[in-house]
Amino acid sequence: MQFMLMINEDESPYAGEGGAALLEATLAGHMKLAEDLVAAGVPFSGERLKPASTATTVRSDNGVVTLHDGPFAETHEELGGFYIIDVASLDEALEWAKRIPVPKGGVEVRPVWQMGAEG
Amino acid sequence: MAARPRVVAALAAQLRDLDAAEEAFAEAAASALALAEAPRDLAAWLFVAGKRRALDTLRKARGEARKVDALAEVTDMADILTLPEPIPDERLRLLFICCHPALGAEVRAALALKVICGLPVGRIAQLFLVSEPAMLQRITRAKAKVREAGIAFELPPRRDWPERLGAVLLALELAFTAAYADAGGELSAALPEDMDADLGGEVERLALLVAELLPEEPEALGLAALVLLARSRAGARLDRAGAMVPLSQQDCAQWDYARIDRARGLMDAAVQAGQSGPYQVMAAIQLAHARRAFDRRVEWPSVLRLYDVLLALRPSPMVALSRALAVAQVEGAAEGLALIDALPAERLALARPYHVARADLLARVGRGQEAAAALDAALALDPPRAERLWLEQRRTALA
Repeated sequence: MQFMLMINEDESPYAGEGGAALLEATLAGHMKLAEDLVAAGVPFSGERLKPASTATTVRSDNGVVTLHDGPFAETHEELGGFYIIDVASLDEALEWAKRIPVPKGGVEVRPVWQMGAEG
Repeated sequence: MAARPRVVAALAAQLRDLDAAEEAFAEAAASALALAEAPRDLAAWLFVAGKRRALDTLRKARGEARKVDALAEVTDMADILTLPEPIPDERLRLLFICCHPALGAEVRAALALKVICGLPVGRIAQLFLVSEPAMLQRITRAKAKVREAGIAFELPPRRDWPERLGAVLLALELAFTAAYADAGGELSAALPEDMDADLGGEVERLALLVAELLPEEPEALGLAALVLLARSRAGARLDRAGAMVPLSQQDCAQWDYARIDRARGLMDAAVQAGQSGPYQVMAAIQLAHARRAFDRRVEWPSVLRLYDVLLALRPSPMVALSRALAVAQVEGAAEGLALIDALPAERLALARPYHVARADLLARVGRGQEAAAALDAALALDPPRAERLWLEQRRTALA
């Protein structure tokens, strides 16, 4: 089963004092995680996203399409990146999600809709 | 019925779908009722029959045109009896799935009660003090999440057990509360696929199973002891007319001493494992009552101290109410009554034990009319038959 692990994190710690070192440590954590995923034989992909300040949202309301400068929802935590992993169960996906380095924020875990699968 | 948890758990493990398992069980139970002769091994029969029904339903849903194969077409279930297919014991696995941390904490126990014990949604709603539609929605959503979110139908790794244990114990406690409130067996009679419905017995089996599997968890042992102690009084809880007999007036000769001994053993083991907790304290209170059989009286000062601890561990108006009754025994009825009258009356207005306790103490301080009014308030809350008969006896005695 494929799961998307969405990393929603507070961007501000990276901009503050010691932010560069924190970013470096976090990125090193992601490198380590990627190595572990490879070692465990888990098929995966993932990307890091630019800050939420670069986001544009396309909104649609009954055929009327408008553009909105900013992320989908304004919160303290922004989607900063994601992984898509292929594991047997939610439990395994949660184990991996717990290992994602997130200085401040959380990871949303959701099954990817399998095209052609039942249900 | 007693076979339900084992059969539903085995079906769920095979089908990996809680709804499908429940439906398959219900259909199998209905066919079992139609049999001329009860199967020798009812659980095995239900499991095999349920599995075939479910596979059949699945094939139909897939629109498979080919003739339903011979296996599924067995209508004469007699041959199933000769199949030596043992039912795997998946009860613990199912219990842990229902109590998965990916499910909301408020729904885990409810889901376990529905799926494993087969408790009607209306009754579960009562236990959680929510409306039936709200509870039905919660349970339906939880089942959908188990199905869609990819929750593993596996026993979690050992290190995750303690995390889920709290919800498991709460589920058992609530199921037991339901069974215990049902002295006269009305709930059992209302269960849908009733054959030999015995919710209390089933909860006892599950509690002992959890205690056996997690012997290093003192609270698991404590809950099992608590259930055993309450069950030890099953034979003394009703009089000949079917009225409830309160604990203090039960004939100890009718208690089951094997259960009391076993509970004591579990509590000793819990003490060895260290770390006290509410279930152990509740069990200790029940054991103090059981000691009446040996000491001819209850050590109320120790009971009061235990309630002090319980109130600190698990503060609630109901615990405070029980503590007030212990105070009444130690210091006097007036002191106990003063504590009860200081409790939040509006929150307890729907709790029968509140009115019953007040009636008891009011009568003891000579305020008979108010005592009668309190009993009327309890009777107005639609008690189960056994409790109603007992309350009516007391009401008559006051008049």
